[in-house]
Amino acid sequence: MASDLTRTTAQHLPADAPGRHSHRLGVIAVVATFGGLLFGYDTGVINGALEPLKEDLQLTSFTEGLVVSILIFGAAIGALIGGRMSDRYGRRHNILVLAIIFMIGTLGCVLSPTWEILALFRFILGLAVGGASATVPVYLAEISPAERRGSVVSRNEVMIVCGQFAAFVINAVIFNIWGEHESVWRFMLLIAVAPAIVLFAGMLRMPESPRWLMSQDRHDEALAVLLQVRSPERARAELEEVQALAEEEKLAQTGGPADLSVKWIRRLIFIGVGLGVFQQATGINSVMYYGTQLLGDAGFSSNAAIVANTLNGLFSVLGVLTGIALINRIDRRKMLIGGFVLTTTFHLLVGLSAFLLPDGTAKAYFILVFVVLFVFSMQGTIGPLVWLMLSEIFPLKIRSFAIGICIFMLWIANAIVALVFPPLVAALGIAATFFIFAGLGVLALVFITTQVPETRGRSLEELEEQFRREYS
Amino acid sequence: MTVLVAVTDTSEGSHALLAGKKEAAMLDTDLLVVNLSLTEPEEVHTLADDGVTVLDRIGRGDRDPATAVLDLIDDRPDIERLVIGVKRRSAVGKALLGSVSQRLILQSPIPVLAVKSPQ
Repeated sequence: MASDLTRTTAQHLPADAPGRHSHRLGVIAVVATFGGLLFGYDTGVINGALEPLKEDLQLTSFTEGLVVSILIFGAAIGALIGGRMSDRYGRRHNILVLAIIFMIGTLGCVLSPTWEILALFRFILGLAVGGASATVPVYLAEISPAERRGSVVSRNEVMIVCGQFAAFVINAVIFNIWGEHESVWRFMLLIAVAPAIVLFAGMLRMPESPRWLMSQDRHDEALAVLLQVRSPERARAELEEVQALAEEEKLAQTGGPADLSVKWIRRLIFIGVGLGVFQQATGINSVMYYGTQLLGDAGFSSNAAIVANTLNGLFSVLGVLTGIALINRIDRRKMLIGGFVLTTTFHLLVGLSAFLLPDGTAKAYFILVFVVLFVFSMQGTIGPLVWLMLSEIFPLKIRSFAIGICIFMLWIANAIVALVFPPLVAALGIAATFFIFAGLGVLALVFITTQVPETRGRSLEELEEQFRREYS
Repeated sequence: MTVLVAVTDTSEGSHALLAGKKEAAMLDTDLLVVNLSLTEPEEVHTLADDGVTVLDRIGRGDRDPATAVLDLIDDRPDIERLVIGVKRRSAVGKALLGSVSQRLILQSPIPVLAVKSPQ
């Protein structure tokens, strides 16, 4: 979830020389990215746990979709509230509270006797997931020096998919050893408590973000934090940059609902929401949440499906790494269009394999290969690009409000796809479902070619002028 | 004594600015401009050269343009006239987006000059 904070140009500050403070900065970055890891783990853990859970609590495809998607609905709300709370009470304070909510939510899920109570605690967990998605990247960007900001925030994105991959692998191990126990899913979910405890214990010893402290007029404390994580000369020099960035953040919060009366602003928000919704409409998260079942439906046995599903996690990580490497070398529109062409093609191939091939191992493997390739192309292009473009298209003053709307709609789209996926597959089968995704991909291509502007290498002022001219 | 003009990036805003300048000249007072849009309309650029102070909306407190203007009027007792552009809004538009002009006209503690664009 790269934020726009990485775009601020660094004034000419003295280079940050290595020293004890760089070690401390490294520790802070690792601890904070546990937030991303938790995000990934908690969203991915349901994947392997769903089959035994479904048996144990007697879920139908509808209640299955409900239990999975309710976390995402929670995340939509958590992202909204989390942003406001971290502005009010501080980033560090927020992350500590989130770690506690992660723990409560996880324990609640592990101990739930019925699916209704499970759904309630998954909603609570969702609030924490959403809050983490809003707070952790902000904290990381604000505590890192300008030169390292981009890479530290990218590392968080990698941690998120690593969290999902870890969940897949650990679930596969647990299932293959203890799969006969009907409560095995509770143990799968329980593991997520461990990183939450690490995050909490770790964050207790971490400093607050210097930029947030500045925004609260706590200048001395801000300097004290900077002295912890930068060389002394750099710390003092950066104080001014931090002040300027805090001012910039303040400006970014100026725009609100009243500004929707301006046509070109409405248009930009429409484009941003469209990007987010079409990103989710690829169904990437359906694969991340329901991968094991999907592969089971494709023809793998339960034990084999959960192992095969780990490939989805692995290629998700590889995809994100590739995306990070490519992202500033190719024009955004080209990369988006290329990405959607790839994902739509793989959707079609999955659908055709499910439709045409006779049931058996070959069919299962074909579907697996095409699903994995879909995940890889998605995470390498559309995934990171949408977040990046959201941070680039909006003028400064409307940014906070506009990105907030887009992120909320993105989560809601995520949740709706997650809600609808199991009943759809149950009713229509894999082939038809993936043909629908392919159709949505075609719509996405039309949307991108006609609506989405190119932002790579263009300054904010240039873009703003173009939008005012073209969209009024 | 000061005349405050609230300028938006619309034709109503431009006409309000013109009317505001005339009003200030007529009353022989200072002119203060508050830019309610999120970008800088053409006419506002040149104002600084003419020695007119332009204020912008800054921060969360100014999210609501009407509140921003009313707060400014409260903070500056020298402001004695408010000039705004007004435009007819459809019922749906008003329900969804509210009407900044309407609220300013009804809640302003000082006299308001409401300027429309010529049809």
